[in-house]
Amino acid sequence: MRVSAPAPQSRPDLGPADYPLSVNRQDLLRTPTGKPLSALTMNAVVAGEIVADDLRIAPETLQLQAILAESVQRPQLAANFRRAAELTAVPDAEVLAMYNALRPRASSRDELLTIAENLESKYHAPVCGALVREAAEVYQRRDLLAREED
Amino acid sequence: MTTTQPRHSRRTEILEDRPVNLDGFVEEWPEKGLVAMESDFDPAPSVRVEDGRIVELDGRARADFDFMDTFIADHAIDVETTEASMAVPSDEIARMLINPTVSRQDVLAVTRGLTPAKILDVVKLMNVVEIMQGMQKMRARRTPANQGHSTSARDNPLQVAVDAAEGALRGFAELETTLGVLRYAPLVAIALQVGAQVGRGGVLTQCALEEATELELGMRGITAYAETISIYGTESVFVDGDDTPWSKSFLASAYASRGIKMRFTSGTGSEVQMGNAEGKSMLYLEIRCVLMAKGAGVQGLQNGSISCIGVPGAMPGGIRAVAAENLVASMVDLECASGNDQSFSHSAMRRTARMMPQLLPGTDFVCSGYSGVPNADNMFAGSNFDTDDYDDWNTIQRDLQVDGGLRHIREDEILQVRNKAARALQALFAELDLPRITDEEVEAATYANGSEDYPERDVLEDLKGAQSVMDRGITGLDLVTALERTGFHDVAENLLTVLRQRVSGDLLQTSAILTHDFVPLSAINDANDYAGPGTGYRLQGERWEQLKKLRHVTSAENPETEVS
Amino acid sequence: MSAPAAVRTLTLKEIGPAQRASRPDEVVIAVSPAFAETFTRTIVDVPHAEVIRQVLAGIEEQGVTARMVKVWDTADLAAIAHTGARLSGSGISIGLLSRGTTMIHQRDLPRLSNLELFPQSPLLDAEVFRRIGSNAAQYAKGESPAPVPTRNDQMARPRWQAKAALLHLKEFECIVAGRRPVEVEPVISRA
Repeated sequence: MRVSAPAPQSRPDLGPADYPLSVNRQDLLRTPTGKPLSALTMNAVVAGEIVADDLRIAPETLQLQAILAESVQRPQLAANFRRAAELTAVPDAEVLAMYNALRPRASSRDELLTIAENLESKYHAPVCGALVREAAEVYQRRDLLAREED
Repeated sequence: MTTTQPRHSRRTEILEDRPVNLDGFVEEWPEKGLVAMESDFDPAPSVRVEDGRIVELDGRARADFDFMDTFIADHAIDVETTEASMAVPSDEIARMLINPTVSRQDVLAVTRGLTPAKILDVVKLMNVVEIMQGMQKMRARRTPANQGHSTSARDNPLQVAVDAAEGALRGFAELETTLGVLRYAPLVAIALQVGAQVGRGGVLTQCALEEATELELGMRGITAYAETISIYGTESVFVDGDDTPWSKSFLASAYASRGIKMRFTSGTGSEVQMGNAEGKSMLYLEIRCVLMAKGAGVQGLQNGSISCIGVPGAMPGGIRAVAAENLVASMVDLECASGNDQSFSHSAMRRTARMMPQLLPGTDFVCSGYSGVPNADNMFAGSNFDTDDYDDWNTIQRDLQVDGGLRHIREDEILQVRNKAARALQALFAELDLPRITDEEVEAATYANGSEDYPERDVLEDLKGAQSVMDRGITGLDLVTALERTGFHDVAENLLTVLRQRVSGDLLQTSAILTHDFVPLSAINDANDYAGPGTGYRLQGERWEQLKKLRHVTSAENPETEVS
Repeated sequence: MSAPAAVRTLTLKEIGPAQRASRPDEVVIAVSPAFAETFTRTIVDVPHAEVIRQVLAGIEEQGVTARMVKVWDTADLAAIAHTGARLSGSGISIGLLSRGTTMIHQRDLPRLSNLELFPQSPLLDAEVFRRIGSNAAQYAKGESPAPVPTRNDQMARPRWQAKAALLHLKEFECIVAGRRPVEVEPVISRA
């Protein structure tokens, strides 16, 4: 990717020795609902204190994993984690709809650009937005936009 | 008929009857891509960079790029180093791959900048032994592992659960299922997850389905990872598969955004099988897939021909090409789940020879997977190895002192986990108001071999139950709660621990698996450090003691008894 | 595989461009470019005439009508079957490749999904084709039939896969890019 994601606000200096974070750096981990990993106990589940959202990954955590991936020279993996960090904000159904819209001949150029705009403005997801814009450009060149009769 | 048949020798008759002659072999047709890895129609390596952008790739100018070229040029190849890397002679790179004094990192520094045709040029220089030497060093994770299949010809969730439990106990780090009838998926995916966590906490599970449904089950926490995200080496076949490199990259991020481990799948032969190889060799097209996966930022790839193995398997040099494609995935720093997962030959000798290039050097997952059910029940259309081969596999590990990820387990222990998995699923189904599992079924499951050993289930009721899992939005957390409420506390705890891994994202890193104490083991904290004899992963200590055990071993202390 | 008593041949008579129908009680049978033309038999030598005869019989025994279309611009089974489903008044179709691979599809499903898939062409015989026809017709009537039992011979792959690829390459050469689906009338005659 050419477009780089905005760096997380405080960028911890993580390296291979910090992995696995679930063992070595629990202090950095929070659920999207703000709970520490240690709060996700069976007692809490039985008490009904844990909801499905507590078992999701937080965008900040994906940024941490991106830093780790970069520290071991895996820039593409890191870029994937940064796109993923952005997508945590997008509801499941909408993620699936966006994926389906990116299938060949599923969308017009305008439809793809609307998705990109939506990602950028509504979800503050510039890296994902750029990926969709790039797709729109390539699809146009390779005749993979939706055809009229479809 | 009065025509006289020519007389055959007795020897010819015996040879005609050998199983290998039931296999299909076809002639090469390179113009159509029906050729393993050596074709005059593959492009020559080249690269040109202008203004920080690749403008020529393997003899093609940017204006003529198809979408694979575009994606690989813009995402997979390191623009900074490509011209320098491409200037290194292919034979020198091939030698770096097998030279133990050149580190894995040193090789990666070069391979990051290579084009598909250059990578092909390198591996074409290597014979199978050299390919294995390369794999031994380039495999991402230091410790090899194995993956199993658990499926049922009747899509019986109970069978899937108990065979998953047995497989997990025997050593599979990952377990995969799929369906005959797709609508069965939610019940079977639940069964796989529960069975796996009974067998050995921390085993990762997945259900191979059409992309969107597979993602949905993952998002709900019913499965733990995904693998059947297929990619192809030509634009036309990719489009036939209803995807593009961009849709698949987006999907890769979607999985990661839910904390779900994922790898892509590709393999030699798929393009020619789908009828559009654009006249390129199977391995050249597979190398494009590997680089596409790399560019998408996915952590790994399942390759090794996979469901197309009959195609390279029928070609001259085909199995060498399959070994080479695994090496290519590893030499660009991807996790490699290396095939050996489809019925390959009628000949036991040929089946064994086919997996040597993966078993001997070790790969991230030697099989992807090994059939944890009898092949007649394998809904991936059979694997190269199945439950009948467990003892052979264990013996080969012991003979050659190599770790293929499995081990011998005493029958009493196996019966215990099978029974427990059956009872756990029975309790879970009852708790979730899903179709009933009877005590008779539990008993049958404990001692069964294949689906015919189980009482038949009411398929229509099961399908209604499967639909209700989707309609009610049942999640992995609901499974934890139900297991805990029904007294299967340790199983519930195992599943909760697997689900909790999502929050940390540790399993998203390259080649990650969970150990039996739930510690993520990946190419970061278990990076392959092979540097020649005496280094890297060695089968020794407690693990070697485990692998010395077989079903029948005469006791040295008392030769009138056996140890097991 | 038992050979039929008399050898029948199938010809597909072109009627015109395939249209979407509104009658809800039909199943569309969509076949691949080489079907009943370049090729006349499946990979295990079941004559295409017999395949169509059995599928039609299966549909008709459920009191449902059948319509047949030839898809010209792809040899991809999911695409062929989905094309048929979108033309079908009931939304149900059966897609068929020349080598015998078959799929029951429904208009509202994603293209790569399906109602039932029979991927192992070497295992499909006359009886299976009849049951596929019958099940498709039951879906068209809004019923939920038990799926046709999937046969599973793990050794079909090593024996047949490369030949199947070869047949598919030949089928691919019959694709007419850009040609729209054509409605055809199956004419079965005894040779």
